[in-house]
Amino acid sequence: MQQNGTSPAKMLWNPAESLPPRIKRLREEFYSFYERDYFRNEVMAFTTGKPWDSVYSPHNWGVVPEVFLFFECYSQSLLADAAVVELPPSFWKEPLPKRRALFFRKVVESHLPVRILQGELVVGGQFNTALSRSLTKREAAAWKRMESGYVKLLKAADESGIGNGGATPGHLIPDYRTVLEIGFKGLVKRFNELLSTATNKKARAALEAMIISAEAPCILANRYSEELGKRAADETDPLRKRELERMATICSRVPWEPAQNYWEALQSLWFTHMLVMAAESYPGAGLSYGRFDQLLYPYYKKDIDADSLTPDFAKELLMCFFIKHNYAYDFQGRVGTNQGINSGFGQLITLSGMGKNGEDLTNDFTYLCLEVIQELNMLEPKPNVRLHRGSPHRLLARVSDIIAHAQGAPFLLNFDEQSIRALRWIGLPEEELWDYAPVGCLENTLQGNDRSGTVDVNINLAKAVELVLFNGRDQQTRLQKGPKSGDPRSFETFDDFMSAYRRQTDYCMKTLIELYNISDEIRARFEPTPYLSTLVRGCAEKGKDITEGGAHYNFITMEGVALGTTIDSLLAIKKLVYEDGRVSMDELAGAIDVNFEGREPLRQLLVNRAPKFGNDDQYADSLAREVSNYWTMEVTKYRSPYTGRRYRAGYLSWNYWISYAPKTSATPDGRKRGSYLSNGLCPVNGADRHGPTAMIKSVGNLGLDTVPNGGSHTFSLSPSLVRDREHIDKLAALLRSYTEHGGTALQINIIDADTLRAAQKNPDEYRNLLVRITGYNAYFVMIGKEIQDEIIARESHRI
Amino acid sequence: MRSDASRGMIFSIQKFSTEDGPGIRTTVFLKGCPLRCLWCHNPESISRNPQLVWHSPRCIGDLACIGACPRGALSGDEKGVAVNREACESCGNCAAVCPTGALEVIGREMAADEVMSEILKDALFYRQSGGGVTFSGGEPTLQHEFLLTLLAACRNAGIHTALDTCGYNRREIFRSLVPYIDLFLYDLKSLDDELHKRATGVGVDLIIGNLKYLDSTGIPLWLRTPVIPGYTERGENIRQIARFIRDELTNVKRYDLLPFSNLCASKYDELGIEFSLAGAPLMKEEEMKELEAITRGEGLDNVVISGLMSRK
Repeated sequence: MQQNGTSPAKMLWNPAESLPPRIKRLREEFYSFYERDYFRNEVMAFTTGKPWDSVYSPHNWGVVPEVFLFFECYSQSLLADAAVVELPPSFWKEPLPKRRALFFRKVVESHLPVRILQGELVVGGQFNTALSRSLTKREAAAWKRMESGYVKLLKAADESGIGNGGATPGHLIPDYRTVLEIGFKGLVKRFNELLSTATNKKARAALEAMIISAEAPCILANRYSEELGKRAADETDPLRKRELERMATICSRVPWEPAQNYWEALQSLWFTHMLVMAAESYPGAGLSYGRFDQLLYPYYKKDIDADSLTPDFAKELLMCFFIKHNYAYDFQGRVGTNQGINSGFGQLITLSGMGKNGEDLTNDFTYLCLEVIQELNMLEPKPNVRLHRGSPHRLLARVSDIIAHAQGAPFLLNFDEQSIRALRWIGLPEEELWDYAPVGCLENTLQGNDRSGTVDVNINLAKAVELVLFNGRDQQTRLQKGPKSGDPRSFETFDDFMSAYRRQTDYCMKTLIELYNISDEIRARFEPTPYLSTLVRGCAEKGKDITEGGAHYNFITMEGVALGTTIDSLLAIKKLVYEDGRVSMDELAGAIDVNFEGREPLRQLLVNRAPKFGNDDQYADSLAREVSNYWTMEVTKYRSPYTGRRYRAGYLSWNYWISYAPKTSATPDGRKRGSYLSNGLCPVNGADRHGPTAMIKSVGNLGLDTVPNGGSHTFSLSPSLVRDREHIDKLAALLRSYTEHGGTALQINIIDADTLRAAQKNPDEYRNLLVRITGYNAYFVMIGKEIQDEIIARESHRI
Repeated sequence: MRSDASRGMIFSIQKFSTEDGPGIRTTVFLKGCPLRCLWCHNPESISRNPQLVWHSPRCIGDLACIGACPRGALSGDEKGVAVNREACESCGNCAAVCPTGALEVIGREMAADEVMSEILKDALFYRQSGGGVTFSGGEPTLQHEFLLTLLAACRNAGIHTALDTCGYNRREIFRSLVPYIDLFLYDLKSLDDELHKRATGVGVDLIIGNLKYLDSTGIPLWLRTPVIPGYTERGENIRQIARFIRDELTNVKRYDLLPFSNLCASKYDELGIEFSLAGAPLMKEEEMKELEAITRGEGLDNVVISGLMSRK
C-alpha cells in the first residue's frame, strides 16, 4: 500500500475546538479529574445499618476476573463507608421487593446530591451508588451461602481458563419511550390498574414495589427544580437566569409528566436513565437507549417546525445531555486502570436503520447526532449506526467521512439484514424484529422488553482443543478437568478428533451454565430491582421483577471467545496431521506440552503452512462454519431453571482474548501460551493475508444466523486508504457490500502505528486519543501497556 | 514457460486494490516485461520465468531446504541461505520444505479458470463500488492469449476491466484486446526517445503510436507518469507530456503523477539483482506540487499525485 505524505497524527487529532463556549467549558470540566473536587460521581454506599447488611454482590462482577481478588475487600470497605439510611419501623415487615423500593426511594429523596454545574442545560450527575440489598438476617445468611458457593465455582472455571459467568446488571434497553409518552405518572396509573385485579401475593408485592420506585424520579426532579429556582433567583446574568427558570419548570414536570418538547424529553431521559444506574448500583455498563434518533425525532421536529427551537440550540442541548453520560466512569478518571476495564461502559445509542417495511428511517436528527458525536468527541454515549441495503448514500458517505477523519472508530456499525435473520432464528416475534437495537457494544436485543444477559457468560472456545490434546487434562494445573475423550494419538480420522472436540466443548458449556444458573437464582431471589422493572415491558403485566424473568423476552447470552484461534488450531490438525501427514499427533501434542520450546520449525510450519480462517478460502471457512454452528446451536438447548431464561450465543469476547491467553496452553495454530487469543469474530492477528474483502467474506461465510447476539468484527485501515473523497467513497462501498455478506457489527479503526507509538511515549499529548478495543472504545493512554502493544501490533501488520 | 490461452504465469493476485482504477478492485499481476525501467518497483515482474527468492527476516536457519535442492544450488548456515542463481531452476522443492516461507518461488503457472475463480470471489465489492479487475504486470500483453481469455471471461461475468500497460507491444495485439477493456492505465514516462531508451531500454515511438491508437478507440484512458529523480522529474518533461495530452489525445480522463518509491529495494536484494537507483532520494512533496501546477497550467484538470514523498 502506498503511503500518503501528510502527517497522520495531526490529521487524526480532534481537539474539538469548534465547540460553543458553554460546551467547551463543560467538556473540559469533565476531563479535569484531579481539579474537579466539587462534583465527582464516586460510589456512595448506603446501608440499613444492620450488621448483616451487604451493599455489594460478587455475582454482579462475575464476568470481570480482574476484580475477583477484591470481592471481599470491596464488600467490606463499601460497607464500612456506607451512610446509614433512616427507615420506618414498618420497613422490615415488607416483602423484599418493597424493601428494595423503599430503600431506593429514600436514598433518592434524602441522600443523592443535587448539584448544578455552571452553564449546563441538563441536570443531574451523581448517581453512582452501592445500595443496601435490604435483606433480613435470615435472607442474608441464605444469600451469603449461595454467593460463596457460586464464587468458588466461578474462580475454578476462570482459573482453568474455561471462562466465567455471572448475572450482570445493565445491558438492556429500558422502555424510555413510554416514559416520554405517558410519564411515570402514566406508568403508575397502569400499575395501579394491574394491582386492582392482582390476587397473587408475590405479584402484588412486585407491583407495589414498582409503584414506590416510580415515584423516585419525580422526587429527584422536584429537588432539582427547587434548587434551580433558587439559583435563578440569585442569578444576575439575565440570559442564564432565563435558562435556570426554564430548567426549573422542566424539572417540575418531567419525568413524572409526559415530555412536551425536545428539552423536556432530554431531561426526562437523563433522570430516568441515571436512576437505573443508581438503582442497580452499577454505573453505566450496557445501559442503552435503543434507537435514539427515532425516539427523539418527533420532539425535535415538532419544536423545529413550531420555531420554538433552533438546530443550533438543539445541538447544544444534545451536547449537554451527552456529556452527562461520561460521568458514569468518572470514578476511574483519576486512577486510570489497566486492561481496558475502565471505559468499557457502553451506554449505547442506536442511529438510523430500517423501518417496519424495510424502508430507511434516517432523519434530520440522525445527522444532527452524527455532528454532535464528531464535534464533541467523547467516550460516551457510544453510538452505533444501523446500516442496511436501503441505507441512503448520504448516510454512508457521512459515516465514512467521520470514520476517515476521526481518531479510532467513532462508532460501531450494525448490519440489519444479518442481525434480523439471527434474531428471527432464536424465535423473537417477526413484527418486532425491524425495531431491534444493540446494547453495550453490539449485542442485539429488542427494545424495552428484553433482557438477554448479553455479557453474562463467556466461554473460551480454544480450551476444548487443549482438553482434547491432553485427554481432558488442563495443562496449567495438571488437573483432570474435562471428560476423558481418549488419547488423541489413537484417533484415526479427523472426524474422531472433532467428536472429541465437541465433547470437551459440551463440558465447558455445561460448567459455565451450572455456574451461571446459580447467580441467576441468587439475583432473582435476593436482588430485585423494582425501579428497573417499571421500565421493562412484561414485568408489571406478569407481576414479576425483571430479575425473576419479568421481561417479555429473557435470554442468557454465552459469548464465544477465541473463535479464530480455535478454527485455525483445528485446521492445522486437519491439514497437517490428518491430510498431509506432515506432523504426527504425538509430535504436535509433545510440542504443545513444552510450549514449542525447542520446536520452532514445527511451530513455524503450523503458522505458515496450514490454512487459516479469514482468507475467503472455502476449505478453511467450511470448518469455521462447522465449529461456530455446533456450539451456537447446542447452547440454545439449555435454560436457567429458576427463571426459565434460555441461552443464546454471541461473539463479543470483550478483553478475555487477553485474560485467558495465559490460561490457555499453546495451540495447534502455532500460538504459544500467553500470546493473545483471537478477538470476537476476527481472524487470528496476521492470519488474514488477503486484505479486508477476503476477511469480510470469511466472516460472512461463518453463517451467523445462529448467533442472535451478533459478534464483534474489527479491522484497521491506514489513513492513506481514506485520504481523499475517492478513497472515502471506496470505504462507503465496502460498507454497503458488508450489508450483503458480512457479520452483524463492524468497527473500523483508522489509525496508523506511528500515531499510537507516539501516544504511548507521550501520553499527555494524547489524552483523548480513542481506540476501539473489541466493541468498546477506550482512551488509548489509559489502557494497560499490554493492550497498547497489542493494538500497535494490530496496526503494524496491516496491508 | 507455457503461456497460451488457458494457462499463464501470474506472480500475484491482490485483492482490495484501491490504487489501480476506480472502485474496489482485484489486481492480477502477470509476469514478464519487455522494458527494463531502472526504477522498476516490481523487479520480480520482469522475468517471464518463476524465480526463487529468500526472505531473510523469515529464515530461522532450519536448513531443511539445502538437502531438498536437487541441483545443490543452496548453501548456508544458521545465519542464512545463499542461492546459486546459475544452478537454481526455481523448481520450488526447497520452498515446499521451508517451515516459515522464507524461501518462495515467485511466479506460478495458473489456469484461467483458477484465476477467474479468485477474481469472482470479490464480485460483490466490484458491484457495490464500481470496481473490477485490473491486469497489471510486468506487461500483461506479453501473455496476450491468456490475457484475452481472462478478459473475455470477465466481460462474460459483467466485470469491469482495466489494463495497466506500458504500451510496448504490437498494434494488432492491442487491437485484439480493445473489445474487452473498459479502461486503460497507460504509462508514459517521457516523449524524449533518447531519455526513454536510457531509462527503460526501449524507444518511445511504438508506445506513442499505440497510445494514439487506443485514444482513438474512445475507451477512457488514465495516463500515468512515474516521476523519477534524474530521469523523468524535470518540469520540461512533464510539461511536454501535459501538452501532448492536451493537444493530441481526447480520451484521457485522468493524469497520475507517481513519485519514485524506494520501498522495492529489498525485493532487488532477494532476487539477487542490482537496484541502480537504490540511493536515489524520494521526491519532495513541494516538487510534486510544482509538477502538478505545471500540468494544470497546461490545461489538465484531473491530475492526481499518489505515493510516497518526503515532507521536506
